[in-house]
Amino acid sequence: MATKAEPTTELTGQPATEEHVVIFRLADEYYALDIQTVQEIVRMQTITSIPGSDFWVEGITNLRGRVVPVIDLRKRCGVDAGEYSTETRIVVVSSGNGMVGLIVDAVSEVLRIPGDQVEPPSSIVSVPENTYLRGIAKLDERLVSLMDLEGVLPAEIEDDLAYAASRAA
Amino acid sequence: MASTKGQRLQFDLDDDDLKLFCEEADEQIELLDTSLVQLEGEPDPDLLQQIFRAAHTLKGSSATIGHKKMASLTHAMETVLDAVRQGRRRPGSEVVDALLAGLDALRVLADEVVTGIDSGIETARLEADLHAVLESHDETEAAAPAEASGVAYRLDPEQAEAALAGMDNGTSLYFLEVAIAVECQLPSIRSFQALQEADALGQVLATWPEREHVEAGAGEFSLACFLLSSQSDEQLQAAIQAVTDVQSVQARSIAPEDIDKPLTTTSQPAHPGSGLTGRPQLTLVEDGAPADGARGSSRKATQSVRIDVERLDGLMNLVGELVIDRTRLQQIREQLSAVLKDANLTELTENFEETTSHLARVTDELQEQIMRSRMLPVRSVLTRLPRLVRDVAAKCGKKVELVTAGEETELDRSVIEEISDPLVHILRNAVDHGIESPEERRAAGKPETGLVTVTAWNQETYIYLSVKDDGKGIDTSTLRRKVVEKGLMTRDAAESASEQEAIQWIFLPGLSTAKQISDVSGRGVGMDIVRTNIERLNGQITLHSTPGTGSEVIIQLPLTLATTKALMVVANATVYAIPLVSVTEALADHEADIHTVNGRKTLRLRQRLLPMIDLARALGDGRPRQMEAGRFVVAARHGERQVAFMVDRLLGEQDVVVKSLGHMVGNRRGLTGATILGDGTLGLIVDTASLVSEQAALATPA
Repeated sequence: MATKAEPTTELTGQPATEEHVVIFRLADEYYALDIQTVQEIVRMQTITSIPGSDFWVEGITNLRGRVVPVIDLRKRCGVDAGEYSTETRIVVVSSGNGMVGLIVDAVSEVLRIPGDQVEPPSSIVSVPENTYLRGIAKLDERLVSLMDLEGVLPAEIEDDLAYAASRAA
Repeated sequence: MASTKGQRLQFDLDDDDLKLFCEEADEQIELLDTSLVQLEGEPDPDLLQQIFRAAHTLKGSSATIGHKKMASLTHAMETVLDAVRQGRRRPGSEVVDALLAGLDALRVLADEVVTGIDSGIETARLEADLHAVLESHDETEAAAPAEASGVAYRLDPEQAEAALAGMDNGTSLYFLEVAIAVECQLPSIRSFQALQEADALGQVLATWPEREHVEAGAGEFSLACFLLSSQSDEQLQAAIQAVTDVQSVQARSIAPEDIDKPLTTTSQPAHPGSGLTGRPQLTLVEDGAPADGARGSSRKATQSVRIDVERLDGLMNLVGELVIDRTRLQQIREQLSAVLKDANLTELTENFEETTSHLARVTDELQEQIMRSRMLPVRSVLTRLPRLVRDVAAKCGKKVELVTAGEETELDRSVIEEISDPLVHILRNAVDHGIESPEERRAAGKPETGLVTVTAWNQETYIYLSVKDDGKGIDTSTLRRKVVEKGLMTRDAAESASEQEAIQWIFLPGLSTAKQISDVSGRGVGMDIVRTNIERLNGQITLHSTPGTGSEVIIQLPLTLATTKALMVVANATVYAIPLVSVTEALADHEADIHTVNGRKTLRLRQRLLPMIDLARALGDGRPRQMEAGRFVVAARHGERQVAFMVDRLLGEQDVVVKSLGHMVGNRRGLTGATILGDGTLGLIVDTASLVSEQAALATPA
């Protein structure tokens, strides 16, 4: 916050810049999302499941009058599923396709990570078809995976979305 | 000229002007569309005046933006209309045809303004046609006043008396003719100013056009009046000539003995500048506020405001939220009073109850009012129909009379926009396929002119539109043959179907019953598309037909699209909303007459057998059952098809606000969206149309 005039070029993940991120936990792994994309963080609330949707789509929820789809990030990222606890949160992000809720096991902190602590994902792990990791940050005691939002969200959904949106508008 | 097609056009207007131009052009074209057809035969003077004014306004606005083609065409139309107005030409069918052809071209020309691209439309021929119509002599010409070159101006007896009285008092009577310059863009204001000027100079006895027209801003390029004034004719001419854009003024002094003689206009406007050197320094507000102000005040004040539909949509959404909060508060109230009953807090709970029920009332009213503000009379759709019927009937060589009723019936403007195309299609079918040729009708002992009735009415929270014809009805034998030919059905199935069932096949995709593909109907848009469009609006369409006596199509639509009345049910722990428009009955399964037919559970309801469908499973809910399914049965229909959904619980009726499921979830089969429930959680809205037809088709042995 102190370095107010600093240019915010963290989008590219170029070294010598800073990543301003929200860090959260899935099981025992830590992940980070660009703080710019995070709208708010809410406690777990009732989610209505949609019959016939993908297994990692938990359903939809009511966020102050808006219908927001919710994705279970543990299922999406292949982390072992567990029970929801009092620490479970829904991270509401705004994506190119509108608002989406991401269920995480806990939100730990907001951090600035210096660019030189971030490495490309391939140097540490090699995940086949990795679409959502854009870097690994080595912090003092732990590794944090920097998550690419558009990569973690499903690509364009089939069907005539415009039609669905238009009739509900 | 044709080679200009596709070229970019440049008009003299910015975006705001464009919007204004389009609104005005649409309005006037619409008006012409409805009234030109009525012109034929009986020229009602008021109607004529209205039509003339519409053409005139169009001419003015197109000239203002520099659309030369449009201005020139409207000018030609105006000339014809003027001849009709003055009784020099009777509005026979060739006159109306020429005018309608011109109108069609005007639409294209008006579109050019929006697209900015030359449509390449040829107007010269149309103008020539209009001109020819004007030139062709007919019997009315002889009946026209002797002064064929102009209008006869004459004071009525009362005015003549006043004139004589004034002349006794030393004032003179003048006949004034004012011509406004043709390049003037605001002739109505100028003629009004000229009239004001005349008023200042003496006593105006009679004007052409009539005073109220001029004052209402409907004045034109010429103004004539009788004026009692103590000034000389030169003074009068000079004073009025000072009004901007006045090209010429002629003042003729009338002798007392000539008062009863009709006057005619001089064929040539007076030569400007004759004896008018040095315009008198009369203060006259040019382009002035007084003129505008006077115009405004004399115009009938309409108590309406144009509101952007988006803004109304926004308000409607907010009210939707409010409705949800209301329901929620009411639920909390019930829970609270249950909890607090023992704690002797009666007064508190009573207060709370009072407040919530007041909030409920206010919310309902607000919702109603906002909904009403989005409502338009269905007239705007119905007014387009006479022209359509006339054109279609002419093309098929049929005689058809169209009767419309219930124009005042109001419905949501979004529904109005969507309903027009289906209605036009149904009407076209009625004329093209329903009504027989005059010969056939005579042979059948019917009047030669067929009758098509379009009626709109409200009932409960729905609006109904009916298109009824007294034609030959639907030929089911042709339909039976067609469905087999097109491979839509087996011969046995086609032949064993009842009449009523067979009639409904008209809604099957890819079926056309016309003997030959005609210019009118055979354009690949069938009744199936009509049905799809109606259903998209949460509506229903039904068809009745009796061979020999005619058919009737009835469209049932919700009053608004913003909220939907639905029956709320629970199936496998999820709340679903089933739109009420499709629900025919809801009952507990122990009351229901359930049978097993071919291994399927079937409900017998009023002599019909409905396949019973597990709602949750049909929607693809693969989760383990939380309780035994099918404690209640909801019968739902879609067209003629009916199924019975098995659900766990019925929660009652509710107004639901339809929300999109959002991009991540997409357009789920069998669901149209979600809605917020009283407890803040979400329920899913069932797409009964697709689910019923899908399930009914599955249940029908192929």
